[in-house]
Amino acid sequence: MSDDGTGVSGRSAGRKPAILAVNGISFAYPRRGFRAGRQPTLQNVSLSLSPGASTALVGSSGSGKSTLVRILLALAKPSAGTVTLGGEEVRPGPVRTLRRYRRAVQYIPQNPAGSLDPRMTVFQLLREPLRQLRVEGNHRPLVSEALERVEVPAAMLERHPGELSGGQNQRVAIARALVVSPAYLLADEPVSGLDLPLRDTVLALLESLVHEQGLGLLLVTHDLATAARMCGTTAVLSQGRIVEHAPTHQVLEKPRSAAGAALVQAAAGMPSTLHSSSDRTAATA
Amino acid sequence: MTTVPALVKVAASRILALLGLVALIGMMPWLSGRGAEYTILRARYSDREPTPEALAAVRAELGLEQGPVSLLQSWGHGIFTGDLGTSWISNTPVAPGIAAALGVSVTLMVFAIAAASLIAALICVPAVTEGLRQRPRPASGALSAALTSLPEFLLAAVLLVVGGVWLQWFPPFGWNGAEYAVLPALALGIPAGGLMGLLLSDAIRAGFAEKWVATWRTAGAGPLRLTAAVLRRALPAVLPQIGLVLIGLTGGAVAVEKVYAIPGLGRTLLGAAGAQDIPTLQAGMLALMGLALLVGTLTTAARHLLIGPAVRFGTLPLAEPPRFGSRRQLAVPAVAGGTLALVTLAGLARDPFASAHPRLAAPTWSLPFGADASGRDLLARVGHGAVGTLGTALVVVLVCLAVGIAVGLFPLAATGPLEVANAAPPILAGLVVAAVTGPSAHGAALAVAAVSWAPLAAHTAALAQEARAQPYVQILPVLGVGRARIMLRYILPAVLKPLLRHAMLRLPGIALALAALGFLGLGPQQPSPEWGLILAEGISYVERAPWAVLAPASALVLASVLAVGLAGAGRISPTARQVECGDRPPASGKGNGGLPD
Repeated sequence: MSDDGTGVSGRSAGRKPAILAVNGISFAYPRRGFRAGRQPTLQNVSLSLSPGASTALVGSSGSGKSTLVRILLALAKPSAGTVTLGGEEVRPGPVRTLRRYRRAVQYIPQNPAGSLDPRMTVFQLLREPLRQLRVEGNHRPLVSEALERVEVPAAMLERHPGELSGGQNQRVAIARALVVSPAYLLADEPVSGLDLPLRDTVLALLESLVHEQGLGLLLVTHDLATAARMCGTTAVLSQGRIVEHAPTHQVLEKPRSAAGAALVQAAAGMPSTLHSSSDRTAATA
Repeated sequence: MTTVPALVKVAASRILALLGLVALIGMMPWLSGRGAEYTILRARYSDREPTPEALAAVRAELGLEQGPVSLLQSWGHGIFTGDLGTSWISNTPVAPGIAAALGVSVTLMVFAIAAASLIAALICVPAVTEGLRQRPRPASGALSAALTSLPEFLLAAVLLVVGGVWLQWFPPFGWNGAEYAVLPALALGIPAGGLMGLLLSDAIRAGFAEKWVATWRTAGAGPLRLTAAVLRRALPAVLPQIGLVLIGLTGGAVAVEKVYAIPGLGRTLLGAAGAQDIPTLQAGMLALMGLALLVGTLTTAARHLLIGPAVRFGTLPLAEPPRFGSRRQLAVPAVAGGTLALVTLAGLARDPFASAHPRLAAPTWSLPFGADASGRDLLARVGHGAVGTLGTALVVVLVCLAVGIAVGLFPLAATGPLEVANAAPPILAGLVVAAVTGPSAHGAALAVAAVSWAPLAAHTAALAQEARAQPYVQILPVLGVGRARIMLRYILPAVLKPLLRHAMLRLPGIALALAALGFLGLGPQQPSPEWGLILAEGISYVERAPWAVLAPASALVLASVLAVGLAGAGRISPTARQVECGDRPPASGKGNGGLPD
């Protein structure tokens, strides 16, 4: 089990960067019971991510953001279209066929702290993906290194999530995504449940991962201020279609789609959500 | 990736479970193996020696040589042509006798349902009046819990002694008119009515607490109208459980018909099981299955009629589950458990087998519970019986726990077997096992285990569903954790603790089921000090030596109080019956940090 061909692992950063892309994806939830069918959740969506760049995926609730993330994580099968990493197609399937992909693409859920099993220690939590994804080598130094990257003291290794602060748990969950040295991080509203100072440190951490360590980041958010601060480009998803994909400042200043304009307007109407220093553009748009 | 819709899976599982049950009944002659040949030889040709030739002749005569599949085929063919087989003992067709017995049993059940409904209605009166006066009080449930706690075989014995022998208000035995049905109907109806009343009055209280009642009041709805509306709201929620209670009556009827010598289906089956007359047992079981299906269908139909389209769309709000469990309610089971422990400890120090005392000696200081008909110390027998019965019950509980966990982790496919096991009364399972293997302690344990895992499986399924929806489980596939490891390393540890607690709460109830089988002679045999067996021995001498009944009966009552008290404290259904199981689709876990939907 070594990283070959695609060169997707962070540890093989010297090779040519592998593009993570969805190509012409459509998806419809299966009909349940005898209710009438709904319109498809995603229609012909294409999007590509590259290492060292961050993309924001914005859209109102129900626009299909979460479904797109599930498909990117190879947890749901699109009814049409493909997910490719470095040109190779990825399909949902049993664990063993997806190990390499999962080492390359990791995920930070909406409430990272809640994604930690309360019965396990920090060390066990971080070792689990290393073991299950068959990462070779000594796991202990890899765990310590990941904790260091998120600035959690090594003394916490034998503690349980219940014995850590909320912010520490948040970092542990991020460290768990980083421990397998992924090339991409998919973050689904990673700061929506946090208080403002904590929000800032988590975003700063993600920023440094992108800029200094060359990770590719897809940040799912409904908060344009966060998008403005973090991401070079922004894709607007509306009713299952990508209606706009452009540099973030352009989306904020001159949104071309009605959905983009509505989001910008909503953000302008609620200045309280704009907290970061770099988002004045959004407020004035 | 599962592509089969849940609805189809559940339906297939139900049909397969029923077919499996029918097949099991059909293959009973083959399952009974060599033991049956000796029984038949003794019954039909008592003059012949059990030589290999004679046994082979019996085998050929019974058609046992054909093997299980063709046995099942010819039995199935017979059913469709109206031929239910020929009795192994009397060598006459089975069908007429079963039909007559079924008639008696159905009549008895109608009387019992009438008694149960009356009792349930009386129990519900306070809930309705409190609701109408808008003075809701928490239900104490003490009366209904007390009624529910009495197992039918014990109640039948007590009512026989009090109403039939001491007061002589009603005939103690037989089946010659309506007055003969009163005591048996009460013995069956009191526990069932107590449980129905408990369920219904809780649902009524929850109904009166709902917001629409206030709106109706403001709109000027009178008390009658309001009561009718609340009843209509409360009844559908408890109908499935009431259906199970009614199906449970078939098991209780076996004990009651035995005690009152009523020529019903239960007594016929008991006799057939004892004599290993398998064709009679097969036909009777089939009749009972039909009866249970009928009751189940009727209650489901009634539920649909009452709710209307809401049930189809799943839009009916769930009633709040009844809450029990204050400290005061724990006091009663604690006292019962303490007394039981004391009796057990005192009894264990004495010899339960030696006939060292005068026959039926009255209680004295040195012989606190008196002696039985063989002059054995009753305190010693009850004490040793506690260890035997409770020890067996413990093993049964652990087996049920293991089966329940294994089944509960795959709830959709298991719906059918789960419902069948949930509805099947332990006594009927005991009859089948005893007929196949002969009555024994192991057989009784096997029978009780076979039908007692269902509530634990349903609980496992509910807990596992909850655990699967946890964000920390939802993220596991992304971390490369496979299905098996998710189950064993994450779900199992999360569900094990509450399941263990639940299993222990079932212990006294399972001990009572074992005692019921012992009482009917389907469990351990003489001279085992088993509670049900001790009671059965004592009941013949009840007039001369009431203590011979009193000692085992009080031990059983204490165990019942313990069972119901614990069940109440743990908020589980007091009769080991539970309806809900995994026929809902798994909840999708959006929300706190799980995977996106």
